[in-house]
Amino acid sequence: MKESCPRFSKLLERYFDQEVTDEERSLVENHLQGCPSCQEGLKAMEGLRYLMKAPVDEADPKENFYWVWQKIERAIQQEDKLTWKESIKRWIDLTPILRKRVWVPAAAAIVILLLIITPYFYKKTPSSSEPSVVEYVESQTHNVMVYESEKGDVTVIWLLEGPAKEGGSQS
Amino acid sequence: MLAVILVLWGASMASAEVRTRIRIIEASNQGALVDPVLSDVHGQLGSLFNFTSYRLLKEVTLSLAGTRPVDIPVHQGRSVEITLLGEYGNLVELRIRVKRDGAPILNTHVRLSPQRTILIGGPRHGEGTIIFAISTRF
Amino acid sequence: MEYDETELISRCQKGDQGAFKEIFDRYHKKVYRVAYGVLRQRENALDIVQEVFIKLFRSIKNFKGESRFSTYLYRMAMNTAIDHIRKTGKPFVSSLDGEEAIEPPEEPEKRPDRIFLYKELEGKVNEALRRIPADQRTAIVLREVEGLSYQEIGEAMGTSVGTVMSRLHYGRRRMQELLKDYVHQETLK
Repeated sequence: MKESCPRFSKLLERYFDQEVTDEERSLVENHLQGCPSCQEGLKAMEGLRYLMKAPVDEADPKENFYWVWQKIERAIQQEDKLTWKESIKRWIDLTPILRKRVWVPAAAAIVILLLIITPYFYKKTPSSSEPSVVEYVESQTHNVMVYESEKGDVTVIWLLEGPAKEGGSQS
Repeated sequence: MLAVILVLWGASMASAEVRTRIRIIEASNQGALVDPVLSDVHGQLGSLFNFTSYRLLKEVTLSLAGTRPVDIPVHQGRSVEITLLGEYGNLVELRIRVKRDGAPILNTHVRLSPQRTILIGGPRHGEGTIIFAISTRF
Repeated sequence: MEYDETELISRCQKGDQGAFKEIFDRYHKKVYRVAYGVLRQRENALDIVQEVFIKLFRSIKNFKGESRFSTYLYRMAMNTAIDHIRKTGKPFVSSLDGEEAIEPPEEPEKRPDRIFLYKELEGKVNEALRRIPADQRTAIVLREVEGLSYQEIGEAMGTSVGTVMSRLHYGRRRMQELLKDYVHQETLK
């Protein structure tokens, strides 16, 4: 490391970090004019700052945080699932008019009815935790390989050069 | 009041737009360049393939609704056609066709959750290979 | 509508996810920059952003307002990034023998492009960061990447200004030794 004058070493750092008084700044700037060693020390600090900061400054504007937020939102929504009782309790707490105990059994009845009737709105209701599935894959021109990653977040369908086998494949 | 609740519940569960992101990537062993915009999938690509270089050729984000197919042209006469077939809770079913000069070279039906990415690869592109990275948000 | 931060935090503490999204919009870049400053890799930095905000959602009820919210978040970001290093080890391949300085790259004009040079330099910076103590690393990242004052760094690290200055001084000295062939390269700029 380029060593600045011992006398000015710490002051030079504070000057570089703009943590000096006006008087100290003048002192350092006057000293710098005649001290190559401290000039080199300052350049070395500038060089290190550039190495640390420039790649971050370059990367930062390019990032798309839309997908990051999607993942966070999904995670916190999972965490935020309340029990049935807590949901009713919170609802009652927010609505003074509903504090009357007669509303609790009425709300319970509505929820039960909805749970019974809702499945009839859908033809299929696969579990939300079911991983993606390649339901069907076919190629007349290539062999096909399907791979699912262990983590469960990527599925790969790969077309292999070479004559295709007969028919398609169905999972 | 019960009828109103039922109608509102059904409407809220009905098909919403499915935003689909398709990235067309050239993977090769020419050099060691990883396109900075692919940093979010570089880990996945690196763990699955042995390519040294990944370059983004094209990125398209589109909204799928109904069952109307959407065709996305790629280089050299290739195209990717995506059709939303259905939505089931936390999954969407898509038909994906990769075509070359109009003729299908791959036809697949997949079910995707928002956390999952499909990578379809293999077609040659110059010295490299094309990989289609498809993910959804809904 | 611009919300006062205290009000936003209060709403978050009551479970208001809209307010939490507002907090994310205000602070995600700071968290990203700190994470990138430590890990020197964009993908890992994005993972840290995700992890920090999920942790924040769980812990925001415990934030009493005794320190600035930004310093609370900086501390969480640094700790998460440093924990990531401990769990995953070195992400970059080359390791150093003994106390030798890190090898300089070929002359930049021989490289096919600047991106590759940048990536290699990032590897070197990352290696150097791994070789200094965590508290010096924290001080350097918060100062050089985010430009926090000594006072703010002290708050984030729970130390005095004097300790911050000391950590910066020794951390910078060590980093400059390890990166001595790079800190004066004009061709980088």
